[in-house]
Amino acid sequence: MNVLRWWSGLLVAFALLLLLRITLPLPFNNEIVIFAIYVIGCNFLLGRVGFISFGQPAYLAVGAYGTAFYLYYFGTNPFVGILVGVIAGIVVAAIVGPLFVRLRSDYFALVNLALAVIIFFMMQKMLATYTFGDNGLELLTKMDSTPIIDITRPEGFYVLAFVSAFGVWALYKYLDDSVFGACCLAAKVNEDKLRFLGYSNFGVRLMAFIVANTTTAFAGTLYAIHQGLVSPEMSSPARVADPVVVTILGGVGTLYGPLVGSVAFVGMKDLISKYIGHWELVVGVLLIFVMLAGERGIWGSLEPLLRRWVLRQREAEKPAVADAGVKAR
Amino acid sequence: MIDPHLLLSGVIFGLSMGSVFFLMTLGLSLCFGLMRVISMDQLLYYAVGAYLTYTVSMAIGNVWLGILVGVLVSALVGFVIERLVFQRTYSREITFSMIISFGLLIGGIGIIKAVWGLVPRPVPVPIEAQWNILGTEVPVYRIVVVLIAVLVYAGIWAFLNKTIIGKAIRAGIEDVGHTEGLGINVSRLFTLTFILAGALSGLAGGLHAPLIMVFPDMGLEILAFAFMVVIIGGLGSIKGTFISAFLVGQVVSIGSLVYAPLAQMAPFAIMLLILLIKPTGLYGSAMLKR
Repeated sequence: MNVLRWWSGLLVAFALLLLLRITLPLPFNNEIVIFAIYVIGCNFLLGRVGFISFGQPAYLAVGAYGTAFYLYYFGTNPFVGILVGVIAGIVVAAIVGPLFVRLRSDYFALVNLALAVIIFFMMQKMLATYTFGDNGLELLTKMDSTPIIDITRPEGFYVLAFVSAFGVWALYKYLDDSVFGACCLAAKVNEDKLRFLGYSNFGVRLMAFIVANTTTAFAGTLYAIHQGLVSPEMSSPARVADPVVVTILGGVGTLYGPLVGSVAFVGMKDLISKYIGHWELVVGVLLIFVMLAGERGIWGSLEPLLRRWVLRQREAEKPAVADAGVKAR
Repeated sequence: MIDPHLLLSGVIFGLSMGSVFFLMTLGLSLCFGLMRVISMDQLLYYAVGAYLTYTVSMAIGNVWLGILVGVLVSALVGFVIERLVFQRTYSREITFSMIISFGLLIGGIGIIKAVWGLVPRPVPVPIEAQWNILGTEVPVYRIVVVLIAVLVYAGIWAFLNKTIIGKAIRAGIEDVGHTEGLGINVSRLFTLTFILAGALSGLAGGLHAPLIMVFPDMGLEILAFAFMVVIIGGLGSIKGTFISAFLVGQVVSIGSLVYAPLAQMAPFAIMLLILLIKPTGLYGSAMLKR
């Protein structure tokens, strides 16, 4: 019963996501799922560890370029490409992590932002002989189709993205419940007490940093496979705010916030960009508005209401059961 | 070995870059020092200053007047935004103001794109003369930019150390609570500092405009350098900002002479090195009060 309750929230959320798949066109769905995976890393860092990262596109680009380099120069199997991208993400996070997590949260944000811009420059100019600068790496023809589910086709890719998103969410739900998740929260709220309890502040933060950024890199590899084109545009300074915006739009530190935020954000982007050419304006105004309106986001405001409703339903059920018991006697 | 003529013009180029970085990051540093906000929207005032310089110099033909208008308008925009938005953020934690200011920056760039379009615009150089220093032709305008930056540093130093308002600002940087206890209107002090910061960023944009093309994302382009400067120098320290701005300027300029991609990578490497040794930058304070 407990196991069922643990999974029930996830199952409902992803069933709703499947409902979207039926009603809305496929590219839109693919975009939402990848974007949600992209955002959950940022959400974890901001909501659970208290680090605001404007540098998520850096790790996204690392994952995407890991996959792209493998597929363009070495092999043809997209699954191996994904693996290479994820490993690249882990390696980069493990290299910069020990340096970055020692910093105060304000410095952390600035340094990450600088990293994103540096990776943008690196991919655009310094490694231009390998990355072909702004033209990007064209992967679509380099990938072999895979057996059973062909992930190089959009339909097959959706299955992969959906299943991996479910896996990622189960992982983060597990992390939230585990001692590690509690430690992360403690590192955000009161690091002195965390140290007092015998945990290494540095270790907890480093681990959280690596987990979150590996997830982001994974989203990057999915982008690479999905679009079949990897260009420096991915980590351009104009896009560094996107994950933060969606994190806050969905609700900081909530499990389903990134899902709700992604649906809202990608949906709005599709609708509004038809009418307004300058998408940044909308992002900026949205960000300021959500922050000043109480910074709880869509899911952050809905969740307490939903929880209260569920409790009321249960309470309404209980007396009925008791009555039935009395009558039977 | 690098050609000495090239080296000299490289050093001058680096000095002028450093001046722009300094003017740009001084606002960031002041805002962080006094209000404990990271005001990323300074990069927006930089772009606004540059665009107004372009518009006015196209309409009237005088670049200096354009820079002046840019400074005034940036200060005005800073004033309005401080009153409307930042007043609500001072009591919150630092990430809050950081997110808000980033929203302002992105939104502002959207407005700039809507008003001026996407095409890069050239701004004429106000002083076209060249000086001959040791057989090397050096553009006078770049030297003027350096002089202005040094004058601003001296002016800010005098303002903070010699005037009563400046002393109040320094006291506020030390401890806002006690300053308020002395009967100083801290809220007005914050507004004043923000206006000053906006004006300085506008000045940076106006002075930089003739050296580069003016384009909507110019604030984002310089963003990485601005943050590397404040991180190396230490947030909130004016002296640290001054030193690290010229350091980064030289590294960018000389680095690009040696090997072009170094222009972006070298400051980043230096920043990582300094953070490894001292996580708060060269002159940053270890403790974050409030």
